[in-house]
Amino acid sequence: MSGHSNWPEWIYVAVVIALMAWVGAEAWEAERLVEHVPADAKTIIVTGQQWFWTFEHEDGTKEIGELHVEVGKAYKFEIVSTDVNHSFNIHDYVVLIDAIPGRVNTVWFAPDKVGEHDIQCREYCGLIHYNMRGTLYVTEPLS
Amino acid sequence: MKFIFGFLLIIGVLVIVPAVDFAFAAGDEPGKYLDRRAVIWNLFYKMMTVAFTVGSVVSGTIIWQVWRFRESHPKAKPTSYEGTDW
Amino acid sequence: MTLELQKPRPIWQIMFSTHHTDVGLLYLITSLTFLFLGGSLALGIRAELFYPGSQIIADSMTFNRIFTVHGTTLIFLFIIPFASAVGNYYVPIMVRYKDMAYPKLNAIAFWMIPPAGVLIWLGFADFTWYATPPYSIISAPGPAADMWIFGLKILGISSVLGALNFVVTILKCKHPDMSIGQIPLMAWAFLSSSLIIIVAIPTFAAALLMLLTDRLGVSGFFNPAMGGDPIAYAHLFWFTFHPEVYVLVIPAIGMMYEIIPRFSRKPIYSYNSGVFAFVMLSIVGFSSWAHHMYATGMSFTEKTVFMVGTLAAVPASAMHVFNFVATMWNGRIRFATPMMWAVGGIALFFSAGAGGVVNSAMPLDFTTHDTYWVVGHFHLFVMGTIAFGSIGYLYYMFPYVTGRMYNETWGKIHFVLSFIGTILVFFTQHVLGLYGMPRRIYDYPPIPEWIAMNQIATVGAMIIGISMAIFLANMIHSAGKGKPADTDDPFGLGGKYYYPFEAKNPSH
Repeated sequence: MSGHSNWPEWIYVAVVIALMAWVGAEAWEAERLVEHVPADAKTIIVTGQQWFWTFEHEDGTKEIGELHVEVGKAYKFEIVSTDVNHSFNIHDYVVLIDAIPGRVNTVWFAPDKVGEHDIQCREYCGLIHYNMRGTLYVTEPLS
Repeated sequence: MKFIFGFLLIIGVLVIVPAVDFAFAAGDEPGKYLDRRAVIWNLFYKMMTVAFTVGSVVSGTIIWQVWRFRESHPKAKPTSYEGTDW
Repeated sequence: MTLELQKPRPIWQIMFSTHHTDVGLLYLITSLTFLFLGGSLALGIRAELFYPGSQIIADSMTFNRIFTVHGTTLIFLFIIPFASAVGNYYVPIMVRYKDMAYPKLNAIAFWMIPPAGVLIWLGFADFTWYATPPYSIISAPGPAADMWIFGLKILGISSVLGALNFVVTILKCKHPDMSIGQIPLMAWAFLSSSLIIIVAIPTFAAALLMLLTDRLGVSGFFNPAMGGDPIAYAHLFWFTFHPEVYVLVIPAIGMMYEIIPRFSRKPIYSYNSGVFAFVMLSIVGFSSWAHHMYATGMSFTEKTVFMVGTLAAVPASAMHVFNFVATMWNGRIRFATPMMWAVGGIALFFSAGAGGVVNSAMPLDFTTHDTYWVVGHFHLFVMGTIAFGSIGYLYYMFPYVTGRMYNETWGKIHFVLSFIGTILVFFTQHVLGLYGMPRRIYDYPPIPEWIAMNQIATVGAMIIGISMAIFLANMIHSAGKGKPADTDDPFGLGGKYYYPFEAKNPSH
């Protein structure tokens, strides 16, 4: 580096650092928005176990492998596991969080259209991991 | 130097101000919920736009270089280091 | 300048030797053997995923075992031993010493690898290369899992011993006339990656022991039923294995630093920035490990810290790309096979890095975590960058090792097929991940997009498979019957270029 100036490289490094700062800021902002759980979100307890999902609604009704939610409401999932690690995923609604035994992880979403979506496990959990699937039914509000 | 400073300033205004604006505008009205798909995929597409822009510059440079500085190129000439001990 | 093999010798003379080129040759042959073994498992995985339902693999247990051993083999038994092979051949020469600092330790470090490989292959464990508890504690069938743990334990000791040897050789045995600022960048690469190994590996070694006692039921470090925490394992594992990513990639970058100036007939654009970037990477590499764990329920603050740590490593990697591009600029480049691999490797290194930046953005984890996006991303590193750099370097050192020339035409065909195949497989897998296909699944529902992209990836994998068969045939045939090489200048570049420490850009 002695004597000879290296300005193209310095400009390049400055541009890279600026880009990374931009990526970090944008990501931070988006994460802040999606992590904010609405105050009136209804809680659904999701239990992952080899190799199926169980859902418990606030009123105590339980579903296995199927989840019925209503359009226009916010739901907060509290995800637990009874055996090994799983990962609760509704890809169409970009919902994902691991189910770790001994921990309660939360994630929320607000379905906005009637429809059916796949629920799957994204963390390797053994023999039937590939088929640890369920279905999300988004329905019109009953009341 | 002035140019870099001005450039960063413009980028700063263009990017940071709307982002901060957006951050403080996010309200918490009951019944109106954030669409997480929109936020996340929007971020993804923004980053892909930048990634593909930078990527086309970088790989374009590499492809052009590979074409221009190959030894069989008509204008190829020995580098100033050839035949020396470097 | 011939390195080895010219005079045929009985095999046991090589096996019981402690000379650095002999140990290097043993490393080389072992790592290439495991490259082909691990690679054929990959073809099996791709063939199985060609279409929904069972294709060639009978059940999911077998499939799970196959991808576990595929990953373990290629990371620990191909990439790391290959780097050690190159280091063994070249580091003593680069620092102008007669051998490695501790020749016997060097041989011992090598001879730990075959038994470890045998343990891993005979066990054929199923808990992924990450061995996640509690699955690995309460669900993974023994003795396969225990054999994997012991195999990895041995490999960990082997790489620490090898790394110590490199560090001592470079720092203590370099010629007194050379300052540390004169050793070639590839020696700097080995110095930085060895230091990372020494700092990072002990953590995983401890975690493996804890995992083993957990499996035996005498402790409960990671077992929630006994009050343990599986997340603790994840931290210990990634504290070792995120820096390990740099252990894998830094020697490959170092190899490109050897190839690219040579074939561009120019010195490296900036030696100092190369050194700086290596040192930066090996320090900053330790600040990003938990970006693998965003989805485990980390707090917003933790995620932010690790995102910043991850992004901080990007400028250093980008400096390498800049250095390569600036070195080729205004050169007179001969595109012999090694140069093609190196340049292809840089292009893919950029793509892998750009994908990595996207991964590090916290909210995007919701879309990409544990999908095929991640598979495509890290394979662009391990295949696109590390294997490309390594294979390029293998072609480059081939005439020095064997005294014979490989077949240039077939070498180029190998490169073109591999490059096309790599793009087909791993770029497609990125998109497949965006469609939500999870990793590590044996079977998938018949979603049309998933089927189409899996089929493209399988075709790409078969193209890579064909290219690797060409590679194997070329190597074996040329080692015995190739044209004798001019070992002073096998690539016809002119000028002296073996001792790169003399290669300094006078204007820097």
